[in-house]
Amino acid sequence: MFDFIQAILDGILFGTTYSLIGIGFTLVFGVMHKINMAYAAASIGAAYVGLVSASAMKAASAWAVFGCSLVAGGVLGFLVYLICFHLIPLRNENATLMSTVGMLLLADELISHATTGAPQNYPATLEDVMFRFGEMSIRGDLVVVFAVSVACTAALLLLLYRTRLGLATRAVAQQPIAAQLCGMRVAQVNALTFVITGVLGGIAGALICSAVGSLSILLTGPLTVKGLIVTVIGGLGSVPGAIVAGLLVGGLENAFQHFRGVTERDMYVMLLLFAFLIFRPGGIFARGQGRD
Amino acid sequence: MEFYYGLAQTIGIHTLLGLSAYIILLTGQMSMAQAAFYAIGAYASGMLTVLWGWHIVPAMFAGAALGAAAAAAVGFPALRVKGLMLVIATLAFGEGVRLFFFNFDYQIQKGNVKVGPLGGEGFRQIRYFPENGWTSGEVMLFVWVFVLLIMAMIWWFDRSRYGAVLRAVGDDELAAQSVGINLTAVKVSAMTIGGAIAGLAGCLYAHYTTHIEHLAFGVLQSVFAVSYPIIGGLASVFGTLAAVIFVQGLLVEGLRFLGDWRNLLFGLLIIVAMVVRPSGFLDGQMLRNFRRWFGLRGRNA
Repeated sequence: MFDFIQAILDGILFGTTYSLIGIGFTLVFGVMHKINMAYAAASIGAAYVGLVSASAMKAASAWAVFGCSLVAGGVLGFLVYLICFHLIPLRNENATLMSTVGMLLLADELISHATTGAPQNYPATLEDVMFRFGEMSIRGDLVVVFAVSVACTAALLLLLYRTRLGLATRAVAQQPIAAQLCGMRVAQVNALTFVITGVLGGIAGALICSAVGSLSILLTGPLTVKGLIVTVIGGLGSVPGAIVAGLLVGGLENAFQHFRGVTERDMYVMLLLFAFLIFRPGGIFARGQGRD
Repeated sequence: MEFYYGLAQTIGIHTLLGLSAYIILLTGQMSMAQAAFYAIGAYASGMLTVLWGWHIVPAMFAGAALGAAAAAAVGFPALRVKGLMLVIATLAFGEGVRLFFFNFDYQIQKGNVKVGPLGGEGFRQIRYFPENGWTSGEVMLFVWVFVLLIMAMIWWFDRSRYGAVLRAVGDDELAAQSVGINLTAVKVSAMTIGGAIAGLAGCLYAHYTTHIEHLAFGVLQSVFAVSYPIIGGLASVFGTLAAVIFVQGLLVEGLRFLGDWRNLLFGLLIIVAMVVRPSGFLDGQMLRNFRRWFGLRGRNA
């Protein structure tokens, strides 16, 4: 029984990173009604650039790497916007989606080339720190992951609901044409949304790599799928939904792993998604009937 | 010569995969589960010929039928939600199917070896063609008979009322619905046909390579499937064929001297193709140009 609670607890703590990735997907969807498939790959890419640039500056501590990843994430987010959304007419739905898929493959291959396919060691934030409560123990670095994710989410919510930029972002998400008529520069808001989600992604990528202990391209595929699942379960475009869904997926995934083993775990996560698609297609916090 | 036969088989199988995505794309939906239907067709037909000694043709039809059934099953719940949700739902379904085959063991003793799918090791020894003495030239002809059949079928669909309905839904759902088209029926039927074609392609693939494993049916394979018709354009089935020949013939085989760097080119190619020609190489305008140059009368002429 304690094992089970322990598994769920670890899952929820790690699930905060899924929340961050989910928020990235959902924010872009909310503002542009597009999915940026390259997001998770760009996040891991940012974590890698962060690792390389931090070690180039002879600052190998985990926090320096985090800082560099954050900046790299913002830059990569802007690049993705420029290439996949600025150069391609937005009404070509398939073209923009496909170009982000191309970006995903490109980012994947670039990372695998740069690392020659080998996993890279990633510095941990708190090594060998365990908090014990009776029978249960919590890994110190997972607590850091949790704390940083919560801080990022809080900062993002402050940005969205307390600043002019956040107001503009929400306005564009609600009614792009009305927002444009009120004098907002929609393209600028879109670009800034990509930079913000890129920064979030850089942090999430660094957190995930430091919690796993290594960086490898094997992370991008599962992370993309998990992030998208979190986005759908939370409801496309809903930030609070993505947060809750990330914790839910993280917790349940470890519960499935506890009962059915690691190879079958993800199959049940997919089933969970389908249950949501059938019974609550609008996500956790959907108002009324979200289906058409 | 063997090399070119092999290349022609690969191009044929990928054309089928591309066409399976093409028909779904006509309705304006993008399915990222084509690799899953492909996997279902591959495993099912491989098991039928290897474990139960079926002839290849009925095994292919069984594989296609199972692919179609899976596509209809995933289409129904997923199509209640719109566009981008379908992308995510099918992506997750594809991963789910891949993981299913990763965990799937079913082996029986045959002679002095055990045959059948074995989880992560995959399914070895699908030796129907060598055992029955088919040469690779004959296998290539067999593959291309099916490719031409399916191409002719979809080309004919495109000129029939059904094709017009598919395109109407793809162009403007609301307008299509208001002239009395049943959206769910159209989308699910396109999805089912796409699943059947992908299942067929999977069967050919399994018997051509003789060894299948879950890694061959990942997200990347689905991306390949949808990228052919999108790069090639949705105006005609020949766009998909042109894209497959370009990617598989020129990019994958022709650029072998680049080694690993070749993989980088695929992602880059998709981006460049989308920036330069957002609606694909063979779009409506290009098709009309071709018709004018060659003096053909087209469907809109």
